[in-house]
Amino acid sequence: MSRSVVLLAEAGPQGLHAASREAIGVARLLAGDEPVVAAIFAGASEAATTALSTAGVDRVVCLDSPPLAERRGAACAYALAELAREHEAGILLLGGTPFGRELAGGLAVFWDALSATQVTEVTRAAEVLTVRRPVFGGRASELLELAGPRIVLALRPNSFGGTPLGSRNARIEVHAPPSIPPPLLGGARARVRPAESTTGPDLGTAAIVVAGGRGFKSPENFHLLEELASSLGAAAGASRAVTDAGWRPGSYQVGQTGRSVSPQLYVAVGISGAIQHLTGMMSSRVIVAINSDAQAPIFRISDYGIAGDLFTIVPALTKEIRRVRAR
Amino acid sequence: MRIVVFVKPVPEAETRLRPTADGTRLDTDGVKWVLSGYDESAVEQALLLKEANAGSEVRAVTFGPTPRSEEVLRACLALGCTSAGLVEIAAGEEPDIRQTVRALQHAAGRWPADLYLLGQQSLDTEEGLLPVALAAALGLPGANGAVELSFDSASGVLSFERASEQGIEEWRLPSPSVIGLKQAKNDPRSAKLQNILKSRKMPIDRIPSSELPTVTEPGGAVRPLRFDLPPPRTGAKLIEYTSPEEAAEKLVRTLREEARVFP
Ligand SMILES: Cc1cc2nc3c(=O)[nH]c(=O)nc-3n(C[C@H](O)[C@H](O)[C@H](O)COP(=O)(O)OP(=O)(O)OC[C@H]3O[C@@H](n4cnc5c(N)ncnc54)[C@H](O)[C@@H]3O)c2cc1C
Ligand SMILES: Nc1ncnc2c1ncn2[C@@H]1O[C@H](COP(=O)(O)O)[C@@H](O)[C@H]1O
Repeated sequence: MSRSVVLLAEAGPQGLHAASREAIGVARLLAGDEPVVAAIFAGASEAATTALSTAGVDRVVCLDSPPLAERRGAACAYALAELAREHEAGILLLGGTPFGRELAGGLAVFWDALSATQVTEVTRAAEVLTVRRPVFGGRASELLELAGPRIVLALRPNSFGGTPLGSRNARIEVHAPPSIPPPLLGGARARVRPAESTTGPDLGTAAIVVAGGRGFKSPENFHLLEELASSLGAAAGASRAVTDAGWRPGSYQVGQTGRSVSPQLYVAVGISGAIQHLTGMMSSRVIVAINSDAQAPIFRISDYGIAGDLFTIVPALTKEIRRVRAR
Repeated sequence: MRIVVFVKPVPEAETRLRPTADGTRLDTDGVKWVLSGYDESAVEQALLLKEANAGSEVRAVTFGPTPRSEEVLRACLALGCTSAGLVEIAAGEEPDIRQTVRALQHAAGRWPADLYLLGQQSLDTEEGLLPVALAAALGLPGANGAVELSFDSASGVLSFERASEQGIEEWRLPSPSVIGLKQAKNDPRSAKLQNILKSRKMPIDRIPSSELPTVTEPGGAVRPLRFDLPPPRTGAKLIEYTSPEEAAEKLVRTLREEARVFP
């Protein structure tokens, strides 16, 4: 596998995605002296592409074709597989976004690759990668050996944050991608509308998540949670009790049937800790619970806890964080 | 409308996870197998589409070892699926995703449908790979993470939404397509007792493992090395305090100095 590493970079209005920066760091680590090629799909802003070219990769390839801008998993995977073949890549890295995971499946087929998603650790010895990934909602993890000439990995967000990026000046090339088999392009993305936004950063990839539960008693009180989130620069989330009651939109929901998150810090406020909630947040690095019931199950899986009334604790906490941050 | 819904048995949520004696994988001895959560939603959504489109059929299909696969297929029949298909795995084999894709592809060839519906990810291994992998293998349009799925029988168009980094996307795909479902329009129903009893007598169509295309694996292999439980969380260190201000001050200090989670 002494060949290049290809990674997919994603960008939004805020520029290069944090998940893609993580992927670049991991690519550098795995590539050794071999080149790292970043692919980016049509539709990314020029600013993001330029940012990518100085983020530590050796080459930037824009796959410029309108159908790819629609972000269809199978079609984009087809184009990426072609690119990986062209560059004789041994490893293809995808960031920890839903799109990245979607592509991993298509790549396993079109590139005939071994694959693993939600990867939190990876080491390389010649042709062999050893990866760790959480399973059962973070209640366990598996260590896998992937031995083969083509390996595709989708990373778990916030798992490789500290990896240093090199600074290089990469060439930007625009590629017209291969002709994609028409059946993969059937139908159309009719419309994209902005998500009913959660406050702050994206829930799925945020470094800090602050989530509220039924303990807030009514939608009028939920602003206390959002103020706490904003003091921390965190994404705000909620238990299903909150989204089912319509206090906040479904996009806030964390858990088995909502978003799965793995931030550095997860703060659960007025959430009891039902298994379906835990399934979505157990692999967070540090978990803090605030709950008036000292026996609430959430305390059993938390690192730190405050047993107390959220209506007095949360405002005090927001104030303290603002004070500390202002220094 | 013909729907094939792919389902996978997973250990029930309350299962106490423990590794096998050699430490390489989950010990499945005594585990109770149930429908994976997203697959429950996929079955519910398939049944809703069947009810909305007269004369529809819903076939539940799994690729896995007996008896656990038969149990979940019977559960699907009890919920209202009209038929069930089992692609058998030779005992003791642990297929990787490429073998699973091939098996599901083979089943799709046997049981053609207007919609191949899957869960967005398994609740045990949480890969989320198969919906788009199967679309790729079948050469059909596909997407994962769908909600609000509906079917227009006149045009044969499948409509759904999904959330992405770019916002809420509204999609229209032709049939047949492959869709990974995040949420059905209803919470999954539960089976009536009389249907559970009836499902025990219904046939399960089988594809023996010998019928699957054999493949040499130039692409190498995935080998499980360890199945690890996280160090037991010993329970939260509770902050002692006399006022909310003190609690806040102590928590922030602990998070900065001990847990080092924010600057
Ligand atoms: C198939 C299925 C899927 C599900 N999926 C999900 C999912 O994805 N995500 C999810 O979250 N749930 C999910 N659930 C629901 C889950 O089982 C729980 O019902 C839900 O998580 C409970 O939400 P909660 O903790 O906010 O509410 P509760 O369980 O009612 O807990 C409220 C907590 O607030 C505390 N509290 C009350 N007042 C105060 C106060 N003044 N100060 C501090 N604390 C206070 C209470 O002590 C209590 O612990 C699912 C359920 C099913 C059956
Ligand atoms: N062995 C299997 N048999 C049938 N369907 C499966 C199997 N494995 C996975 N699936 C389907 O693929 C979905 C996603 O699985 P995964 O990619 O493993 O997370 C599941 O929710 C099922 O619908």
